[in-house]
Amino acid sequence: MGLRSYIITRILLTIPTLLLLLSMVFLVMRVLPGDPVSLHFEKKATPEQMEAMRRVLGMDKPLWAQYVDYLGGLVNIEYLLEHGYPNLGKSMQTFEEVGGQIFSAFPATLELAIYSMIIASIIGILLGVTSSKSYNSILDHLIRGFGTVTYAVPIFLLGMIFQLIFGVYLRWLPTGLRLNPAVDAPATLTGLYTLDSLLEGNLFKFFESSKALLLPSLTLGLILSGMFIRMTRTNMLETLRLDFVTAAKARGLKESTVTYGYALRNALLPIVTMIGLQFAILLGGAILTETTFSWPGLGRYVVDRINFRDYTAIQGAVVMFGLFVTLVSLVVDILYAYLDPRIRL
Amino acid sequence: MPEKMETAIVVLVLIGIIVSSGTMVYTTSVMSGVSSTQSDVSTLADSMTNLTSSVGDLASIMADLAETVGEYADTIAALEASLASLRAALTKMTLAEKTLIVGTTDSVELTLDPAQAYDYFGWSILQQIAGTLVEVKPGSETGLDYLPALAVSWNASEDLDVWDFNLRQGVIFWDGTEFNATHVKYSFDRAIELIPSIPEGAPAGLGYDSIINSTEVLDTYKVRFHLNDPFSPFLGIASCRASAIVNPEYAPIAQVNYTAGDPRASTPVAFVGPYFLSEWKRVAGRDIEIKLDANPFYWNATGEPAKTEHVIFRFYSDAPTLRLAVEAGDVDMAFRHISPTDVLDLEGKPNVKVWWGTGAFIQYLCFQCAHEPFNDTRVRRAVTAALDRPTVCSTVFLNLSEPLYSLIPPGMLGHTEAFQKLGDANYTLTKSLLAEVGYNEANKLKFDLWYESSGHYPMSAEQALVYKQAFEASGVMDVTLVSRDWAAYKKARDDEIMDVYVYGWYPDYVDPDDYSFLYWASWIHTNYYNETLNGLPNPSYSAYLQQVVFFDEARSTTNTTLRDQLYAQIDDIAVEQCSVVPIYVSTAWAVTKPDVFGIVLDITQDMRYWLIYIGE
Repeated sequence: MGLRSYIITRILLTIPTLLLLLSMVFLVMRVLPGDPVSLHFEKKATPEQMEAMRRVLGMDKPLWAQYVDYLGGLVNIEYLLEHGYPNLGKSMQTFEEVGGQIFSAFPATLELAIYSMIIASIIGILLGVTSSKSYNSILDHLIRGFGTVTYAVPIFLLGMIFQLIFGVYLRWLPTGLRLNPAVDAPATLTGLYTLDSLLEGNLFKFFESSKALLLPSLTLGLILSGMFIRMTRTNMLETLRLDFVTAAKARGLKESTVTYGYALRNALLPIVTMIGLQFAILLGGAILTETTFSWPGLGRYVVDRINFRDYTAIQGAVVMFGLFVTLVSLVVDILYAYLDPRIRL
Repeated sequence: MPEKMETAIVVLVLIGIIVSSGTMVYTTSVMSGVSSTQSDVSTLADSMTNLTSSVGDLASIMADLAETVGEYADTIAALEASLASLRAALTKMTLAEKTLIVGTTDSVELTLDPAQAYDYFGWSILQQIAGTLVEVKPGSETGLDYLPALAVSWNASEDLDVWDFNLRQGVIFWDGTEFNATHVKYSFDRAIELIPSIPEGAPAGLGYDSIINSTEVLDTYKVRFHLNDPFSPFLGIASCRASAIVNPEYAPIAQVNYTAGDPRASTPVAFVGPYFLSEWKRVAGRDIEIKLDANPFYWNATGEPAKTEHVIFRFYSDAPTLRLAVEAGDVDMAFRHISPTDVLDLEGKPNVKVWWGTGAFIQYLCFQCAHEPFNDTRVRRAVTAALDRPTVCSTVFLNLSEPLYSLIPPGMLGHTEAFQKLGDANYTLTKSLLAEVGYNEANKLKFDLWYESSGHYPMSAEQALVYKQAFEASGVMDVTLVSRDWAAYKKARDDEIMDVYVYGWYPDYVDPDDYSFLYWASWIHTNYYNETLNGLPNPSYSAYLQQVVFFDEARSTTNTTLRDQLYAQIDDIAVEQCSVVPIYVSTAWAVTKPDVFGIVLDITQDMRYWLIYIGE
């Protein structure tokens, strides 16, 4: 199979995957106890009021009709072109467009994911390589211990410790939210405050938005780095034992060239795959980090919507998450296929 | 002849030589000139080339210079922008005393349209930006001390079904429209007209359409309400946020499109409150930032203007993060919700100040009267007698709530201690009552106690555990705890599958009228109010009817002594019936920086931000 055929096949396979995911969520949400109609009425509600709300929410139709309506909305190209996101329906709780809600929260999540991943990758790979190079030494044990602790520590606990130290005691950094209220948000171009501040040429806003981003991304980055440390170390240990590394050393190449130029490059492939998949998962929202730092991203959104049995919002969120994960997996698969032709066989 | 020919030839040759020489000389001369000219041209061309090269170099240098200057200009512009921003931020910081930053875990649920909003925080924001006919006096202990607001005086007919309000003159909306009686009529007509299309809105929930028959404009500054029935708490209705007066220009009577941040609700010109809404940002259905600015056209701007020019709300995800924010100084004030543990921990710390006030939120135990054996009042009373309110208040709420022995909270008209008759952890009474129905240590009363587990009510799981322990300590009850998140819990309530369950209530207006009816509220689904239960006559039905008679009588009089007696009589019946049993009433608190003043936490649960200021 040629690379092009492989890519087309993989893209086509994402359609039934997403459809299956959507159908499952559509059904599971409706099986769960709880009624989005009654949740609109904290106190009394007459049967007529309930029926009126049922009509407003489109729940007066049979289940199959609701399903067909939903799928019909999803493939509405006109809507997609007009709004820039698919028609995911209206929220059953707030009556806002679900697509609009998801895309309004997405930049916050994306920004957090990018910075966390950078921190996690740098810490994880550097410490992993150092650990593998000093195999079984005290340094190796220390780094492994660090990796285990950061991987195991609850994210909200680490977040709160940082908040206490840097927010409450030192007062260097804010304890949460995306920006100091004394500073106006930068003009929205990408929705990433740090990038938008730079594009606006406003260093002060960049400084302020970076300050707000530092603690959540450091928390999340440290937690993820534990996994990266362990994986880098294991892969490096295996690679360092291979013949080509011995040969490179025998030829008198510098230690750093052998480690970073030869061994790490070979050990990096599975790590890059993991970074890609972790990044895709993070795009779905780091629920605990976002909650701990009151970060207005997708993680909080999903939790809120589930509590309200907001069927359309949850379906929309799952479709988007599915899409993120599928896209990143696709890119990783294509890269793999490009790098290693055996996969295409 | 030949000589002549020779001479001629010689002459010709000479001429030829001369001509040739001349030509050659001339040619040479010309050629020399041309050569010289060529040399000159070449020199000139070289010079020109050099010049062009020099000009090119110069242009390049100039371009480089211009680029460099441009870069410097961009850098300078960027620096200037940063400095301007820094200056603006510094200005804002130096004006900090004019800005109050409030942290909260709340969020506006849907809109700020009084015809639709029906949530605590939505109403709280509406209170800052909108005006009502009357207001409750800040600090009121009973919640019944009404002050003139957009109405300067009022009176009711003897039978309390006609209410007249004389309106304040000289009140203007932001757009210059002068407030008058037509606006009052319009606001109430609109609220009622929108009920069918906004079934979840406050006017629908409060039953405006069943209370108000019509609104009549008597003259420019006088309005009359014709009610369907006598209704003594009408001032309570007139003071609540669903009765906010709107500017017809910005609040048309139309089908509501359910969009949060609807311009009709968020426009600064729609209302006449002490503040106007200058910014309202929402992301993914939750508030991100709300900013209020003092309204320069506020009718009471000269009397009691907003003491703080700007109020900014910041939204935190939960109680622990809000506590950290106030402790770190990220916000000037934290209100709703900091947990009891945190607030007690914060009290006494030098960098914060804790404010305490009266609470009006209550929780109560409900019995499903259609489930055997809870159709028997003796069983309901037996379980009630085993309740241990003081332990719940001390262990779960760390004494930040008070045991409640009537659905009407202390301080309010009609409050009694009626349920004291059954006592707390009164196991002797529990055993004797259950023995009458056949339950004892060998044959325990078994039932499910349901509670909400998603944080809709405070400390629900901890409460449920204490209730279970207290019930089982009687030795004659075996309790199974069952929890559901709020959505499933409400469904279980509506499906009437819960034996015994815990519920809660926030008042819409501070009047016993908005509490006492809970004993038989149909939406709680106890079935206590039904004539029959499972096809058999309901033994409690006559008691329910009697309670309703007292309730209606209390609605039709403004005589506080009489109303007090009537609510007490309702409570007396409630103790015998135990359909709904009061457990506790909350305390209210706020945490601020030490230099924040002016907070009033009274029984209304209203936070009047226009009275708050930062000072020495």
